[in-house]
Amino acid sequence: MGEDGENTKINHSFLRDYVTEADVISTVEFNQTGDLLATGDKGGRVVIFQRETESKGESEELGESGEYNVYSTFQSHEPDFDYLKSLEIEEKINKIRWLPQQNAAHFLLSTNDKTIKLWKVSERDKRPEGYNLKDEEGRIKDISTVTSLRVPVLKPTDLMVEVRPRRIFANGHTYHVNSISVNSDGETYLSADDLRVNMWHLDITDRSFNIVDIKPANMEDLTEVITAAEFHPQHCHLFVYSSSKGTLRLCDMRDSALCDKHSKIFEEPEDPGNRSFFSEIISSVSDVKFSHSGRYLLTRDYLTVKVWDLNMEKGPVETYQVHEYLRSKLCSLYENDCIFDKFECVWNSTDSVIMTGAYNSFFRMFDRETGRGVTLEAWRESSKPRAVLRTRRIYTGGRRRRGDVGVDSLDFTKKILHMAWHPAENIIAIAATNNLYIFQDRVNAENM
Amino acid sequence: MEYKVEAHRIMSISLGKIYNSRVQRGGIKLHKNLLVSLVLRSARQVYLSEYYSGACLNAQNEREGNEWDITDSEREKFPPSATECDRVESTEEPQQSEQSEKGRDYRENDDEVKSDQADSTSTLQQEQNQNSSLDSVAKVSSETPPETSNEPKESPSDSAVAESDSTPEANGESHQPPKTQRKRSAEESESGDSPQKRTKVASSNAEESEEAEEMDTSNVSNLITIFGSSFSGLLSKDGAKPEAEDSGQICCDQMLKNLNPWSTAIVAF
Repeated sequence: MGEDGENTKINHSFLRDYVTEADVISTVEFNQTGDLLATGDKGGRVVIFQRETESKGESEELGESGEYNVYSTFQSHEPDFDYLKSLEIEEKINKIRWLPQQNAAHFLLSTNDKTIKLWKVSERDKRPEGYNLKDEEGRIKDISTVTSLRVPVLKPTDLMVEVRPRRIFANGHTYHVNSISVNSDGETYLSADDLRVNMWHLDITDRSFNIVDIKPANMEDLTEVITAAEFHPQHCHLFVYSSSKGTLRLCDMRDSALCDKHSKIFEEPEDPGNRSFFSEIISSVSDVKFSHSGRYLLTRDYLTVKVWDLNMEKGPVETYQVHEYLRSKLCSLYENDCIFDKFECVWNSTDSVIMTGAYNSFFRMFDRETGRGVTLEAWRESSKPRAVLRTRRIYTGGRRRRGDVGVDSLDFTKKILHMAWHPAENIIAIAATNNLYIFQDRVNAENM
Repeated sequence: MEYKVEAHRIMSISLGKIYNSRVQRGGIKLHKNLLVSLVLRSARQVYLSEYYSGACLNAQNEREGNEWDITDSEREKFPPSATECDRVESTEEPQQSEQSEKGRDYRENDDEVKSDQADSTSTLQQEQNQNSSLDSVAKVSSETPPETSNEPKESPSDSAVAESDSTPEANGESHQPPKTQRKRSAEESESGDSPQKRTKVASSNAEESEEAEEMDTSNVSNLITIFGSSFSGLLSKDGAKPEAEDSGQICCDQMLKNLNPWSTAIVAF
């Protein structure tokens, strides 16, 4: 099912399990039609996959959609150095966002910790031939050999995908950029770092508007940072940002130029019974996503995913436990830094299912209508092409079934942080370290 | 008691993380360091509350009986959650006595020393107010001769006021937090004016290994001084970002974290 779409950057070194750090995928994103899938990695590279279009012809075969193959690979960011602060700037791609397509070319924004770049991805499948002054290899012809004039013609060639940087939005951020979000107006986008949110115009690189600034006058008073931000999918004046304290703030840019004062603040009072040293860490929101409808917000903190209704600020409307069995292990997760892992969360196309990642190559899907969740695994050994994903279970007590995984045998190095859901169909892309898994939902099993 | 051990362990782990973040590629991650400093602060609060409870246990030596009430009320009000951290006998808490290299004046507030008595006591008070009743604050504070001269300590409002007054002071100092603490610790080790909490000492008194600890304290204090200078150099190099990790209240935190768990942190490195 997903094997053909796997990332071809798998390290084939003699140590089978050795993973080059640079190959670790750090972001996954479908474009608006779902035909293109972009991944960014820690080495600063972007790989774009394209879905093959199947000519169905007369066949009514459902679900036999095309598979994703590599379309283009390019180096988006290079390691950089801030000379003023003597700091190295990682080339890891933190986020990729596609722009809505307006012509034959595709545009995407990619960002590392400091710099956002706009890339133009275009195809070229024709080239001009028949120049008068140069030959086929491009060498200048000897004029004396030219006896007649001709008009160069475009001849089809092999498909070439060109990727060129069109804009470089640099020096906008003092702190590490964690999110970018394209506005529905098609002209602007926002970028958020730990303390500020900037709004850029896609055509203007030498300036940006600062729309949120939570940096205190005295840094010692710092108590929370911005962890994610996103524009509303329909209303171009609304955006939301999440904080490390677990709050969400909805801001309306019509209120004022600087949106430090939120229009709405969504927070859930902490459960005093669960208080521990690590309460603050696990309440930090790692990802926030608007639903496609624009009515709901999806947030991920360390142990749960929550659905919030924009009309109700006092608490989430739904809360799903992702891996509650880890609550007793917070101390060791703190020691090995796993408690700082930032998991992403996604909606499906109809906002009826939400998905997020976990450890041991597991990821979780929750059906909002039934409230039930399943655990699935993205692991090569158990995923043959066209195999049906079976659900997994974590053994936390009670009757243990065969195949249940004990909490202590979970592999915390295999974490599913990044994922994406196709905007229209039930196709998901899961990044597991340096592997990319693409799973499709086959509605009619009998056709397989 | 196991809470104190766990708190201490978490504090040293947190310090290790903060240190490691400075050498990590990509610069300091503000978010992670903020979270680590929050954990550090929580652990420290537990640690402090445990100290007062530890002082209770040694009430026969130097405390009145009302300390017991304080201990219980503190325990009730700030119950750390049980984690899977091992419950080891609190052999580590006597490390707190490392501050009393010369074994004198155990009654000082651990938070600050000398010039910052006001800061430390007020901050300590603030934390105490968070953790315990007003009565306990007043009573516990009154145990400490050097501080009573600075602080009235009769009411939470006073302490709150004192805290707010001292906060700018603390903040001002915190601009160079590592260096300042380093100086203080150096001074402490020299003068023997240890920023030792009463409870630390009290609890250390209870430990039979206290003698061994005291012998180590002089070595540790030297290590702290030596390590501290290089550490402050590391911190200052990073400019504003390390400052971001500390709040004004953690001015005292740094004191504690620099002095006490340093022994563990230093050994780790």
